Amino acid sequence: MFKRKIVAILLLTALGFLGGVPAIGEPGLQTAQAAPAREAWQNEFDEVCSKTQDAMTFSEEQLIALIQRCDALLPQLEKLDETRKKVFTGRLRMCRGLYVYVLDSKRNEKK
Amino acid sequence: MYMYSIQREMRKNKGGIFLLSLLCGVLILSSGAVAQQLYLPAAPPANPADYGKVILDNYASSGPGPVVFDHWLHRSKFTCRLCHVDVGFAMQAKATGVSASTNRQGFHCGACHDGKREFEGKPIFASCSDAVNDKQCDRCHSVGKKDARKYNYSSYTAKFPKGIYGVDWEAAEKNGSVKPVDFLPGISIKRSNMQSRPDFSIKAGLEWVNPVIFSHEKHAIWNGCELCHPEIFPTTSKAEAKYTMFSNIEGHHCGACHLKVAFSLNNCVKCHQRAPTWVKGN
Repeated sequence: MFKRKIVAILLLTALGFLGGVPAIGEPGLQTAQAAPAREAWQNEFDEVCSKTQDAMTFSEEQLIALIQRCDALLPQLEKLDETRKKVFTGRLRMCRGLYVYVLDSKRNEKK
Repeated sequence: MYMYSIQREMRKNKGGIFLLSLLCGVLILSSGAVAQQLYLPAAPPANPADYGKVILDNYASSGPGPVVFDHWLHRSKFTCRLCHVDVGFAMQAKATGVSASTNRQGFHCGACHDGKREFEGKPIFASCSDAVNDKQCDRCHSVGKKDARKYNYSSYTAKFPKGIYGVDWEAAEKNGSVKPVDFLPGISIKRSNMQSRPDFSIKAGLEWVNPVIFSHEKHAIWNGCELCHPEIFPTTSKAEAKYTMFSNIEGHHCGACHLKVAFSLNNCVKCHQRAPTWVKGN
């Protein structure tokens, strides 16, 4: 009887893990939606624009590389439907703009 | 004859004095009007609930009518950056292109208001869904509709710290009355915490005005970096930076936010840390 209980508890625990544990530590907004399949450009977009907080720590070469990656991404975003194009080109414009701003600031400091 | 000419001169002078007074009055009034138009920030609305209120009336002639957007409600829950960078709301009127269709596709208001996302344990009502009733539409499309809105400024902000004009949002954030969310799953990108930039001082254009102490830290909490740079504050060397009250009042630089949503430009000492230098004991 006792062994059965232990087996049942272990099985339930395993099921709990398999069923998934809700994300912990992300405050505020939660979503019940399953994540939609991601398109190729989205990974590059996230990768390039996730570094805005660290922009001041980058060297001029790193900033130039990020700006070039933004420029390479733009033609792909321009092929999206109207609303997505407007939202994502807007976001890209802001993150690219910041990298250019930081690059210019660094160059100005040297003068 | 002599008396007559004196009386005539006096009458003339009276007329002259009257005309001179009239001229002075016109000059004072016109210069006041000009000053108000050109140099002084417009006073914020008498009711703090109306400060930052946006009426979206792109399609006012048809459908459920214009939308009222209250900045005070949303800024108590979310950072400026989340909506104006990640979600894509433009900082200028009519530049976003928000519509029922974009909301239904999960953009703009629909990025959060999709009926599925949860905030503080409750689902966020869906915007512009075919499944909702008129009463729900009226929560946003509320112009001229009494009691349509769920939240009331006075009761909602009753416990928030107050300044000379409505809620002191900076104090509210500092004491934990508001905890603005800066991440929207599925839309925001995970980023590292920003390394705070040092505060700096901006010399005022007039000798008797104290300099502005600009806090990067306070601004970054709400805005991140890319909301301000470079579109509001472009690259300049320190020597070339020209941020004036004139440009602020015209809606540029600080005025891009501090004329419409963030504390008003009329609240001088919030930026110019102390009273003018000619005030005794300053």
